[in-house]
Amino acid sequence: MTDLRWSSLRPAHKASVVCLLLLALALLLVPWLSPWGQEHIDWNAIDTPPSPTHWFGTDGSGRDLLVRTMAGGRVSLTIAVLATIVSFAIGLPWGAIAGFAGGRVDQLMMRIVDGLYGLPFMFLVILLVVFFGRNPYLLFIAIGAVSWLDLARIVRGQTLVVKNAMYIEAARALGVTDLWIITRHVVPNVMGPASVYATLTIPGIIIAESFISFLGLGIQEPQTSWGVLIADGATRLHAPWQLIFPATFLAVTLLVLNVAGDQLREAMEPKKQGVRL
Amino acid sequence: MARFIFRRLAFAIVTLWLVVSAAFFLIRAAPGGPFDGERRLPPAIEKNLLASYHLDEPLPVQYWRYLRMVGGGDLGPSFKQKDFTVNELISAGLPISLGLGISAFLLALLLGTSLGTFAALGHDTFRDRFLSGLATLGLAFPPLIVAPILVLVFAVGLAWLPAGGHSSPKHYVLPTIALSLPYIAAFARLSRIGCLEALGLPHVTTARAKGLSHPRLIFQHVFPSAFVPVLSFSGPAAAALLAGSMVVEEVFSLPGLGRYFVQGAINRDYTLVMGTVLVYAVLILVLNLLVDLLYGRLDPRVRSEMVASND
Amino acid sequence: MRLFLLISAICCCVNGLADFIRIGNTGEPATLDPHRYNLRLEETILNDLYLGLTTMNQAGQIVPGAAVSWEVSHDGLIWTFELRRDARWSDGKPVTAADFVFSYQRLLNPETASSLAFFMYPIKNAEAINSGNAPVSTLGVAALATHRLEIELEKPFPFFAERLLYPTAYPVPRHAITTHGENWVKPENIVTNGAFILADWRPQGFVELVKNQRFYDASNVALPGVRYIPVQNTTTALNRYRAGELDVILDFPAGELRWLRQRMPDHVRVSPLLSVMYLVFNVSEPPFDDIRIRKALALAIDRRILTEKVLESGEPVSYGLVPSIVANYPTATTQLPDRELARKLLTAAGFTQNKPLKLTLRYFTGDENKRIQIAIASMWRSVGVQTSLHHAELNAHFADLRQGDFQVAQAGWFGENNPEHYLELLMSDIGDVNYGRYISPKYDRLMRQAKRTADLETRITLLKGAEIEGLRDFGVIPLYSVMIRSLVDPQILGWQTNPRNVHGARYLRRK
Repeated sequence: MTDLRWSSLRPAHKASVVCLLLLALALLLVPWLSPWGQEHIDWNAIDTPPSPTHWFGTDGSGRDLLVRTMAGGRVSLTIAVLATIVSFAIGLPWGAIAGFAGGRVDQLMMRIVDGLYGLPFMFLVILLVVFFGRNPYLLFIAIGAVSWLDLARIVRGQTLVVKNAMYIEAARALGVTDLWIITRHVVPNVMGPASVYATLTIPGIIIAESFISFLGLGIQEPQTSWGVLIADGATRLHAPWQLIFPATFLAVTLLVLNVAGDQLREAMEPKKQGVRL
Repeated sequence: MARFIFRRLAFAIVTLWLVVSAAFFLIRAAPGGPFDGERRLPPAIEKNLLASYHLDEPLPVQYWRYLRMVGGGDLGPSFKQKDFTVNELISAGLPISLGLGISAFLLALLLGTSLGTFAALGHDTFRDRFLSGLATLGLAFPPLIVAPILVLVFAVGLAWLPAGGHSSPKHYVLPTIALSLPYIAAFARLSRIGCLEALGLPHVTTARAKGLSHPRLIFQHVFPSAFVPVLSFSGPAAAALLAGSMVVEEVFSLPGLGRYFVQGAINRDYTLVMGTVLVYAVLILVLNLLVDLLYGRLDPRVRSEMVASND
Repeated sequence: MRLFLLISAICCCVNGLADFIRIGNTGEPATLDPHRYNLRLEETILNDLYLGLTTMNQAGQIVPGAAVSWEVSHDGLIWTFELRRDARWSDGKPVTAADFVFSYQRLLNPETASSLAFFMYPIKNAEAINSGNAPVSTLGVAALATHRLEIELEKPFPFFAERLLYPTAYPVPRHAITTHGENWVKPENIVTNGAFILADWRPQGFVELVKNQRFYDASNVALPGVRYIPVQNTTTALNRYRAGELDVILDFPAGELRWLRQRMPDHVRVSPLLSVMYLVFNVSEPPFDDIRIRKALALAIDRRILTEKVLESGEPVSYGLVPSIVANYPTATTQLPDRELARKLLTAAGFTQNKPLKLTLRYFTGDENKRIQIAIASMWRSVGVQTSLHHAELNAHFADLRQGDFQVAQAGWFGENNPEHYLELLMSDIGDVNYGRYISPKYDRLMRQAKRTADLETRITLLKGAEIEGLRDFGVIPLYSVMIRSLVDPQILGWQTNPRNVHGARYLRRK
């Protein structure tokens, strides 16, 4: 893994990290500082455009859009992080066991991954959500449960590298059990790259949650998320600010995460000969 | 080669069976049933309804009956759209989804790879950085964001294009753009990488040194390599396109497969949902198989590997 | 039949498809069998395909349909209908009383599994037959002559003529059903007696009707055909209308009304629908069995804010369970909100700031519904009640309600110009549509008495008494009546707003 010092980052990446920090700050502080609560209704300001009292305007029920957008962002990001943890919890053991065991077990486990890889996940997630209710906890579990595949592949690859290292041979020679080796040597070495790759899946998870909420199957009132806000805005096009603000925030967040993610990905891969990619 | 195909097919069938079974049992486990209406049915009527759809039989019997039906190509009657069978509904919706999906895929493929190649050829110049930046930007615009904004700007605001319906090719313009945007970006990035790799390869640099003319060089040596990473991503891309079509079909009121799926899931129309999941799974498996075969043809190294190995 | 369709199709092509009217319907019909329908959007289409004993004119008034006249016996139990002698099915066969006997028997036959069969329960033995307790032949419907039909009722029901407007009372072609079985509804087989026949049906695409040349009044039907196009999303409906792809849309987003009234006032048709939206309490679940809680929650709601600020189409407030637009019925008295009293009642019932009342308010999916429930939750918060919202799709929502799986829920009732239709909701023996299981012996007694009364005025007085009793108990909180919001191209004439929102295409024509 190459250098990730601040000074070695390109300007675009620096900007994106700063952006992320600002965003996180806004998501935390704005609802706290604003006079308007997330559920507070201003009866005289239903569907009003941005104004000094309501910086982002109000939605169709008279609630302040700035606070709602920030609250929605908190929910979207929280779910993304939780889903990532779930996918990590599944993908890491899967890949580690497959890589370490090798042979038939490895082939079988990776075949399953291959098979699942091409399937339409969104459908399975939607089916799960529709059947078992629109619980926000269920939502991130469901999303996480279908996004662990790439992670499993990466972890397996890393495990193979570690497995062949000398000290593993040494430990084996000493008669240590496989499980001990996995937990004490493989996992710590794999965690680093695995964590990085896990964070790369966050934009995809945010999109998945927004997608499901957009279809009405995800986050429910009075909770909100960017997907819900965009869906609402899309039905009230006579009040375009209700669509534009949440959509912009989502797009910018995805952009910034992708840029930062690119930097991480570059740091992980060895430089190719001759051509800087 | 034939062995390779055979193994892939067998694998695909097993996957299909798993998918269908999973969907079948999941739907049965869900609360509520297909006959929930505003008023409660008298017990005699409810009994008759359940019997006519075989819902009163024990679960394993229903499962076996369904497997037999599907094996014969019949996806059963729709529970909610009472005058139609699932086959009829799917054959109405599939052309629309396919039309949308194929247009979006082709647009992404052609535009994306062209942009990527173009960028790679002008490596490290302003245009490269600009296009790369655009591509990164494109990834931040999933159909969920783009679709309503396109409607807002082009349909409602400027009134240049229609906002819904599917009666003419014009109706597919906005939906196709909305669906394909992130994939144009993804393919641009991938093809750029592919091209750059190709540009760095010995035989290309040699050819350049020998003075081979530029356009021939591009088309014979560089361009095909642009497709390799694109191709390997095509399988998942197609799957994601099909999923994304749900949002697009919803926003633009296109009566495609995605729409049927969502409505069926919400209404607990068991047979319709299982039918659509099955069709999707088949499509994706076929696509993946095609991709694998094409991959072999395109990149000779991979082909020999495929033939040589037991895979 | 096929030849006939072909000829009709050619006539249509000659006329030019441009003369067809394209109507944006609120969704895709699940069936076009009048005995199996469930949804109002299906009712709209069925109304053009078939002609019942009674039908509606442009203004929504009940006029003779397949029957030219009818008489009611003095005790209100025997209704005798004289059928139109020149009425024909679209394949030329005459429509006779025997067709109606067959149809009603089919409707009530439990094997048909019609979920709205109970609309015809006023007929003698109908309920027994439909529950499987009596043979179909005992139904109180008889053909006295080729064109004379006699219907015997269980109890006097002065509103029966209105009940016959629903598709459940339409005749179905016995000869087609015998020949084609369940496939009789397909365009190539279907036979109807209304102003139009079914020419084509593409799921999620359109339902196409063409003029029935054999309709008795065909000379007065101006349109060569109609296309019903399903548009579930009201925003898309509006966009397509503005793009000129649709001539009529039956619903548009409430938020656009202001804009539309400014820019396209001639297109806008807004009028109240015979309906009542209300909140229902699950009276069997504590603490909603305590009348103080129910009253407090009712007093906390300011209906005027709901209708004036939250709803955007001038919805009329409904203080009573019977909508204010129902004919010949005295309107309920206004009740103003009283938050102070509400808070006092809650405290008396044991809920304080430290131990607030927490409840779940359920509603069915829809933009308007959502905003109303959000507003109500906010009003309840102002008296110290914490509300969480739960929504489900229409069918699932009502299924939950029928099973009593709720605390407080939104409900709606759409229908007739007859106060009983709404007041029945609180009767203890009406079945599952009394979602809250509200039981009041006094209410039941008054209602039963009313239902036995043949004289309309006395009947209404008794009904009013029952309503006052029910409202005093706060079993439900009526809120408002729904507004119909339609857009109709000014080029189309013959479209009149009416409280049942049924617009027969036979009355429409292009300018």
